[in-house]
Amino acid sequence: MRKKVLSVLLASVMVTGLVAGCGSGSGGGSDSGSDSSSESAGGEYDGVELTYWSMWSNTEPQGQVLQEAVDAWSAETGASVTIEWRGRDIRNVITSALESQEKIDLFEDGYEMITSAYVDYVADLTSMAEEAGYADQSFAVFNDWATEQAGFLPCITEQPQVGGVFYNQDIFDDAGVEAPTTWTEFLEVCQTLKDAGYAPMALDSAYAAFFFGYHLSRYIGQDATSELATNGGWSGNPLVAQAAQDMIDFVNAGYLADGAPDEFPASQNKMALGDPQAAMVVCANYVTSEVNNTAGEELNWGLFNYPSVEGAADGVDQTAAYTGSNSIAITNYSENQQAAFDLALFITSGEYDQKMADTAGQIPADPSNTAPASQTGTVEALNAAQSSLVWNMGLNANADLQSSIAEVIVRLYEGEFATGEEFAAALDALY
Amino acid sequence: MKKNKAFIITFILPCLLSLIIMYLYPIVRTVLMSFFGIESVTSDMSEWSFNGIANYAKIFESPTFQRAMTNMLLIWLVGGIIVLSFALLFAVILTSGIRFKKFFRAAIYLPNIISAVALATMWIQYIYNQDYGMLNQILEALGLEGKRWLGTDMKFWAMLVAFTFGAVGYYMLIFISGIERIPEDLYEAATIDGANKVQQFRSLTLPLLRGIFKTNITFWSVNCITFFLWSKMFAPIHTETATIVPVVYLYDIVFGTQGNVERDAGAGAAVGVTLAVFVAIIYFVMNKVIKDDDLEF
Repeated sequence: MRKKVLSVLLASVMVTGLVAGCGSGSGGGSDSGSDSSSESAGGEYDGVELTYWSMWSNTEPQGQVLQEAVDAWSAETGASVTIEWRGRDIRNVITSALESQEKIDLFEDGYEMITSAYVDYVADLTSMAEEAGYADQSFAVFNDWATEQAGFLPCITEQPQVGGVFYNQDIFDDAGVEAPTTWTEFLEVCQTLKDAGYAPMALDSAYAAFFFGYHLSRYIGQDATSELATNGGWSGNPLVAQAAQDMIDFVNAGYLADGAPDEFPASQNKMALGDPQAAMVVCANYVTSEVNNTAGEELNWGLFNYPSVEGAADGVDQTAAYTGSNSIAITNYSENQQAAFDLALFITSGEYDQKMADTAGQIPADPSNTAPASQTGTVEALNAAQSSLVWNMGLNANADLQSSIAEVIVRLYEGEFATGEEFAAALDALY
Repeated sequence: MKKNKAFIITFILPCLLSLIIMYLYPIVRTVLMSFFGIESVTSDMSEWSFNGIANYAKIFESPTFQRAMTNMLLIWLVGGIIVLSFALLFAVILTSGIRFKKFFRAAIYLPNIISAVALATMWIQYIYNQDYGMLNQILEALGLEGKRWLGTDMKFWAMLVAFTFGAVGYYMLIFISGIERIPEDLYEAATIDGANKVQQFRSLTLPLLRGIFKTNITFWSVNCITFFLWSKMFAPIHTETATIVPVVYLYDIVFGTQGNVERDAGAGAAVGVTLAVFVAIIYFVMNKVIKDDDLEF
């Protein structure tokens, strides 16, 4: 009998342990979470509890500034905010969390994901944004794109990105060149830089499709590029061969840095550490911080929009620029959407937005703030961009073939094709 | 006996329940998902649309999946031959009574206790780097031209070599345990009969290691089928065709990629089921081809 009682007790302990182990623990927070709460009474959001899923970790500069901003907002409003530091893998877990309506009020991710994969679970912020005058505290290019994709304003821009040709101003000054606006001028700049003993262009293979995507989209536009990537027929458009031929001539002229296309980040680092030093790189704005961090010093950065080309198809916008954004979305099932919106705005404007830009070397989300030195020219580029280009300008439109297309483009820069027609034929061979 | 049955059921139930919830349910769900059109991996069953075998047709027609499978098979075959050959060679050498056996055993096993991320970074930055990498430095010292080791034509092989370097020690240890299990008197008898070391290896060691070979080949196969981290390390920004493997392909189509947010959890499940079938086939074939129960020593 004693054995029986003992066995039942032991079994109970095991079952209890199992159930406890399998519990979601949603009420108790998580190990990765950090809680900001204020004991001051009389705040606007006293008693309000928000849960914030962040794409950063609390050891990254972005995470640290975010924590400071949330602490300050909590102290001001009396709300309690729990930040769950999910890191970049947030993308792998957020969908299931949203589907099961887990307690999340705000979360961060790229706005292309928010406007597509999560769009059914995010709140329409249009009226709250209008009331708060959000348009004056943000770049229109992001709001317009997100609204166009989602059908409503689904997110608040947190960390804007812009693409273009980032260059070392000191090298340009030394060689006596200025930022070009057309491809012809650009080639002249490259030749002058080369003659002055510099490597005109750094290129890592990871960004080869970004470089070529920019060039091709100048000729045929992003929509036509997407269409070709999806269905093939590259050889049927002579402008594809023309764009590729431009790149073949560019490579043959010796304008790429030694070893390019190199393994990321070896080539872009040659902007600081190369011998000869590289003068330019086609990338998004985060490249400047990456190179600065590697070099341990601040380069004198500049940015110009990707040059325009002659002979482009009708109606192709020659001023279009890659824009992207890490953004904050609010769940449509959140019970405290207004509080969440106010917090998002607090983070992305004013003092803490400036701090985020300075600490992490980013473009401020609030145009009235000042870009740090590493981001010189980015705010102007965002204001000047009349239309947005997506990452790789449509070359990634075919989910299944995108890596194969990117490989053919790397081979283009490796000098494998003698003519643009050969390149177009190699792309068509993938279908 | 009746009392015992109650005990058995009481104690087995928690384990059985956890097995059903944590293993059986995901497996059944994944197999089911592979026949449906599903965007999100956790979407409700009411949102699934029956696809028949379309998901399987899609992945097998996909040139990227075909490339991923080819890469995986090359890793399995070429990497397997290299890793298991070196592992066996080192195991035989280390069990032959050489000095500093413990040191060499630890040194060869060392890469296994270093994070694969650190190992891959070391290979990419210090060995394959075009400007200051060890390989090009050696070539230059010999008066030869440096090579682009991580270019599109060489990247797969560069990754394979780096991966195999770290993998040898693990299989070597398993071989060593197998060799040390063989009774010493068999070798003494063979020596008295005039067999030299090579003959002893061929006629004694190899046949008696059959079971260990089966274990190692099965482990290696599972390792290759679940190959992921090295591929990600050698293509850190975007998935690259040169290094893509089925699990990376699965990851990309289930979660989307930068510049393409399209997701297809149904096709991802089909990839998962296909890989599981591969593991089962290998296990079955190994059991059929290598029988280890007919030898006793």
